[in-house]
Amino acid sequence: MYLITTIVATAISVVLWIFFKDRKGLHLDILAVIFGAASLMWLIDSFFSLASEGVFVSFTDPKDGWIALFTLIGGLFAWLLLSFILNNSAKSSNK
Amino acid sequence: MACFAISAGAAVVVAASKYVVRHFEKKAEVKCAASNNEETNTIRKFGSEVKVSKKLGYLELALFAGSFLLLIEHIIHGEIIPYFPFFTAAATELGTQEMLYEMGTVGVTMTLAITFAWGIGVLISDFVRYRKQFKKTSKTQD
Repeated sequence: MYLITTIVATAISVVLWIFFKDRKGLHLDILAVIFGAASLMWLIDSFFSLASEGVFVSFTDPKDGWIALFTLIGGLFAWLLLSFILNNSAKSSNK
Repeated sequence: MACFAISAGAAVVVAASKYVVRHFEKKAEVKCAASNNEETNTIRKFGSEVKVSKKLGYLELALFAGSFLLLIEHIIHGEIIPYFPFFTAAATELGTQEMLYEMGTVGVTMTLAITFAWGIGVLISDFVRYRKQFKKTSKTQD
């Protein structure tokens, strides 16, 4: 389930990145890379679980919803933190 | 189990190499400015529009971010504990063997997939920038 969540988050962040292409301060490329990398890693994990257990994506684990939620929160938190650091370092180098 | 550890390790290596590359880039910039050679400043090779250190920064971000989100998943699954041996699988010998096997297969494949995707992304971005530059220079020559 969290694989689907991160794929959707990647798609949304890529669309936003294209839409707000000129607003470099938002650092939406970072958000797209964060969710894109996680999606790719879980996709590989899913292929391995398909090969070993015969299940690609499982919806039975009750923890999956929490993982999806905390993944989104973690990704957004990392993006906000990195954007804040990058914007502040750009400001201080301009002074 | 601990597949993200391989990506996290690779991210540390990429981060270190990024700083080394940045150091050499700065040295080359100073050399270029000192020589004031117009030819070297205007010639643009394929892939030279964006610095290598910036490209490596994206790979570092992808590896670190992917590992971070997978770490969250492993914590919620209860595969990581805040005390020694940190991985629940590492408590038994059989579990350790399984964990190492997963790191060697899933972890390495994940890292290679991220690196491959980054390589394709860099290649496409370089090609687009090079084409733009090429069109601009051919327009000015006309």
